[in-house]
Amino acid sequence: MSLTPVDGTVVAEAAEPLGMPEATRTESGFVGRSPGQLAWARLRRDRVAVVSGAVMVVLVVVALAAPLIEKLYGVGPYEFFKDDLDGYGMPYGISGGISGTHWFGLEPGKGSDIFINLVYGMRTSLLIAFAAAVITAVIGVVMGIVAGYLGGWVDAALGWVTDLFLALPFLIFTLTLVRPLELHFYGPRDAVPSWFRIVVLIALFAVFGWTGTARLVRGQVISLREREFVEAARAAGAGLGHMLFQQLLPNIWAPILVSFSLAVPAYITGEAALSFLGVGVVEPIPDFGRMIFRSLDYLQTDPAYVFFPGITIFILVLAFNLFGDALRDALDPKSTR
Amino acid sequence: MLRFLIRRVLLAVLTLFAVSVLTFMMFFALPRDPVTAMCPKNCNAERLEKVRKELGLSDPKTTQYANYMKGIFVGRNLGEAQGGRCPAPCLGYSYVNGEDVTTTFARVLPVTLSIVIPAAVLWLGLGIGLGMLSALRRGTVFDRLAIGFSLTGASLQLYFVGAVLLIVFVYDLKILPTPRYVSIFDNPWEWATTLVLPWIALAFLFSAIYARLSRAQMLETLSEDFVRTARAKGLPKRTVYGRHALRAAITPLVTIAGLDIGGALGGTVITETTFGLRGLGRTAIDAVREGDMPTIMATVLISATFIVVANVLVDVLYALIDPRVRLR
Amino acid sequence: MRRPRTAAAVTGLLAVTVALGACSNNKRGDDQSTNLNRQATGSIATDPKDSMGPAPDVPGATKGGTFTIISRTKISHIDPQRTYSFAGLANSQLIERRLTTFKDDGKGHVTLVGDLAVTPGTDVNKDCKTWEFKLKDGLKFEDGSPITSKDVAYGIARSFDLDLTGGPTYIQEWLADTPQYDTKFDFKKNKTALPPGLSTPDDKTIRFEFAKPHCDLPFAASLPATAPVPAAKDTGVDYDKQPVSSGPYKIVKNQLGVEIDMERNTYWDPKTDPVRHQYPDKFVWQFGPDASAQTNRMIADNGADQSALGWNGIDSSLVAKVMNDASLKSRTILEPTPSHNTLTINTQRVTDLKVRQALNYAIDRDGLIKTLGGETVAQPVTTLMPPSTIGWQNYDAYPAGKSGNIDKAKELLGGKTPELVLAIRDDNGSQGQEVGTQLKNNLEKAGFKITVKTVPADSYLDETKKKDNPYDLYLGSWAADWPSGAAILPVLYDGRAIKADGSNNGTSYLNDPEINADFDRILALPTDQQAAEWAKEDKKIMEKDAPVVPLYVDVAFYLHGSKAGGLFIDSIFGQPAFVNAYVKS
Repeated sequence: MSLTPVDGTVVAEAAEPLGMPEATRTESGFVGRSPGQLAWARLRRDRVAVVSGAVMVVLVVVALAAPLIEKLYGVGPYEFFKDDLDGYGMPYGISGGISGTHWFGLEPGKGSDIFINLVYGMRTSLLIAFAAAVITAVIGVVMGIVAGYLGGWVDAALGWVTDLFLALPFLIFTLTLVRPLELHFYGPRDAVPSWFRIVVLIALFAVFGWTGTARLVRGQVISLREREFVEAARAAGAGLGHMLFQQLLPNIWAPILVSFSLAVPAYITGEAALSFLGVGVVEPIPDFGRMIFRSLDYLQTDPAYVFFPGITIFILVLAFNLFGDALRDALDPKSTR
Repeated sequence: MLRFLIRRVLLAVLTLFAVSVLTFMMFFALPRDPVTAMCPKNCNAERLEKVRKELGLSDPKTTQYANYMKGIFVGRNLGEAQGGRCPAPCLGYSYVNGEDVTTTFARVLPVTLSIVIPAAVLWLGLGIGLGMLSALRRGTVFDRLAIGFSLTGASLQLYFVGAVLLIVFVYDLKILPTPRYVSIFDNPWEWATTLVLPWIALAFLFSAIYARLSRAQMLETLSEDFVRTARAKGLPKRTVYGRHALRAAITPLVTIAGLDIGGALGGTVITETTFGLRGLGRTAIDAVREGDMPTIMATVLISATFIVVANVLVDVLYALIDPRVRLR
Repeated sequence: MRRPRTAAAVTGLLAVTVALGACSNNKRGDDQSTNLNRQATGSIATDPKDSMGPAPDVPGATKGGTFTIISRTKISHIDPQRTYSFAGLANSQLIERRLTTFKDDGKGHVTLVGDLAVTPGTDVNKDCKTWEFKLKDGLKFEDGSPITSKDVAYGIARSFDLDLTGGPTYIQEWLADTPQYDTKFDFKKNKTALPPGLSTPDDKTIRFEFAKPHCDLPFAASLPATAPVPAAKDTGVDYDKQPVSSGPYKIVKNQLGVEIDMERNTYWDPKTDPVRHQYPDKFVWQFGPDASAQTNRMIADNGADQSALGWNGIDSSLVAKVMNDASLKSRTILEPTPSHNTLTINTQRVTDLKVRQALNYAIDRDGLIKTLGGETVAQPVTTLMPPSTIGWQNYDAYPAGKSGNIDKAKELLGGKTPELVLAIRDDNGSQGQEVGTQLKNNLEKAGFKITVKTVPADSYLDETKKKDNPYDLYLGSWAADWPSGAAILPVLYDGRAIKADGSNNGTSYLNDPEINADFDRILALPTDQQAAEWAKEDKKIMEKDAPVVPLYVDVAFYLHGSKAGGLFIDSIFGQPAFVNAYVKS
């Protein structure tokens, strides 16, 4: 429960109309001729999908190429320009110290370069979001497919476990567990490596985030269970593993993909929200969420500082959301007429 | 129906039981001794032992759990340092706050309720209304604007929206008072004006999600056979859309709304932090920061209860609307 | 499917963000520097007239109105025997009288006077071992019952109860002559008895008899721990919710963590009180909003906020806005405080004096202060005592300029790379970590290898106060309970006071027999001759042992509403004081 920026929404819910209440849903139609190709064609025809997809790719490439960009740009994320700050810690110069060397200006107080921190921060954010989305998808798919196909008491038990995890308040658990986990794994004089917090965050997102996908997949599988091809495979004596992952999984990849593409932006904002509450990625690792949270106080005194991280995360999340929507439309021909 | 209900409630109780056990275990898995936080000065080993005993921390874990549960249902006696008798529902005593946890929650719960319930009414009305209308007017300017609104909302963060709203309406234009909590029974006008910003912020972001969902749902329903049949039969547009389609489209939203509201009641952490209100969420955060174990434990239990109860309600509601569900 | 021009909506929204503050140009060289110098003078009143009320009128003060104080967090305790936080101490002046108190002009000139007592104490045998206080006439609790010496003694007795955590422990330890004072007197077993050495010969007299000389008792008695408590109204741990008032205001409603409402206490008699006033009808504490919300509310100056104060000061992110707005300047208070911050070196682990000196040379105070939010948040110091200490002399034992001298540090290290662990408090927000990054960056340039270790905020003090803590460096802060070197140097640097099982004040764990002997010599001097000696000792410790790197003193920078008057910065604790506060009509 409650991973997104808005207090309380369920991450994968944005994808739910696809698969939710199995009773009201009719089977989504990727029957017949190469649905993948059809979808791809539809996607390419959709202007918004192309643009948002392009933006997405550019931002991901920028994030991946961070060290290269640092070389070209000439300033690193761990350099501090205290001499360019005045006595109150505010950067000298126009609009928060924008200049040829510092394209987006300097962070007040810290004196680090905003542009390069954004690039690296995006890398951290995307790493967490993608990793969390992949892990939740895997857990969710396995749980959902098993519950949906086997039914009976297995379904009931897994359904109950899903309910249990939905009932655990994610934010409070995260707040409580993040620090003690570090104390648990590291001695008093050991530095906690900065990646550790990232791993902890990904793990917590995964533990609490899989329920949506599981429900979605379960619904899909239930509707497929009685179909002829499944019956045929069963009659042919296919093993459980074969049934689940060779027969069923290929038929439900579309909603999973959509749910995945919408989970990524949800985790980006979720991670930012955790920074807001002080349990996000820690210094000195550059991080989006922390930067935005820190910048908010400067809304009146250094608006440029709020603007650049704010607009970047907005574009990033919007691009993912738009693309996820477009993907859904492309994969689900019924809604596109 | 009755059997379904009983089964559902029993499952819910089992879930809550599991949540309480899990939470309880989580705190014992923590490496830090809660006692240290409770006696900061002159804490020699002897004194620590005394506090530990008073808190019952030297008892076996099962006994501690049983005592805690007993406190919730029938009340129990705590040591003198913890204010003595603690009547049911007793959630323990917080050293940090210097009062029993039940009293704390009796004070902060109305705050969260006052934030969430009106906000939920707003976001459901606005979100579903927008979604339905834009589905019916698909492709028009209205539709585009509505989608633009919902995508913007879904891509923004509450603390960002909150900060901008505060600066514009409270600090700059000065047309709204600073958010704080006044009981609706003391002064309904002040209650509403001081909380209207959190409502707007929450409603903006949530209704964005609901508009998206309900639009998609409505579009799908409109393409269903029964809608087409009804139209073909010559039923007026208003009846078909308003009664048949709307009802079918809205049903799945009930589940999501139930979970969202249940979750929000468990603490709107970010809303409360942004607007400086002290409801369940802020209490939870402070408790975590101050290492206030009894309060954390109680927050987890209370918010889990909200979610579980919301889940049961949703299922029951669903069964009422859609009889097929019961057969499952 | 077509989708709308979201870009338009986005642009509109962001335009709002940018329009909130137009492009500004912050030119180099335009800086005004904030000059903050204030030196304390202090004395103990000898003339009983000084201890008599009423306090002189505050010019321009008017009666009436509600004065609001907005604070981010609740006051941790308001039970007088448990009050020790800054907010608690400020508030206690409104509701609790004590044996002695400071008359304070807000500019560092303080005089210790009798509060409940007629004089700030009588040293009966001139050996600082036996002290007597005589109570004034006409003292009453909020219910009209008279305050006797029995009530004061009862208050001190209940401070021996270990359940009542949080308060200072000077008097308990002095009376029991051991830090484990609870072993000498068990309050819970016999609530009518008094601890050893404490007696009330009559209803007006309270007498302290110590085994060792404690010349500082009159100062220690100025803490609210000596406030009277009527035994019949004591509710143990619950007394913290609504203590019985002896001051000009009484608590009428206390919603924990939300609001405290106080109204006039009609039984308080101004004629008995040398420092307090009773101008506003009500005082209200509101809890919740953080410093930036408080500052924004003060700038907006709207409605009830006109007679309010943001307790957590001006948020560093808004300092530029406040400083650049002339209309706000008249509503600000800017004063240095006695809160002194150091990079404390664990001398048990860092035994090489050269390393400690190198740290002192390497430190970049300017960069650190900018990280903290600039000169309105912190001012650099190079001494062990804050400048507001009586008799303070400025010096710099390791002169290296405002940004440190990396070369000098490297030279002292002689090519070695000391690996040090720096413990950082994991605070609300990320500032703690930013300070850690700044220090690491700074010191590593000078050849150190620094590991930053974050410790949860609620256990940071407990951890560093343990003698065998595993850290080499940590950030320490000390706000003396009275502005004398005696409340700073021996408390922090007397090695004989190091306790094996934690709760140490002197976390550098310095134990230098020569320095210890100096302390004994100076403490035996009459109070008025000590000041100059402490200043000399300050320099000697730094030069000889370098147990810490002095960093900065906190600066108090506050903004209040346009109708709030009579506020000043308490010279003892460096926080706003409310004894003169009024609401302009």
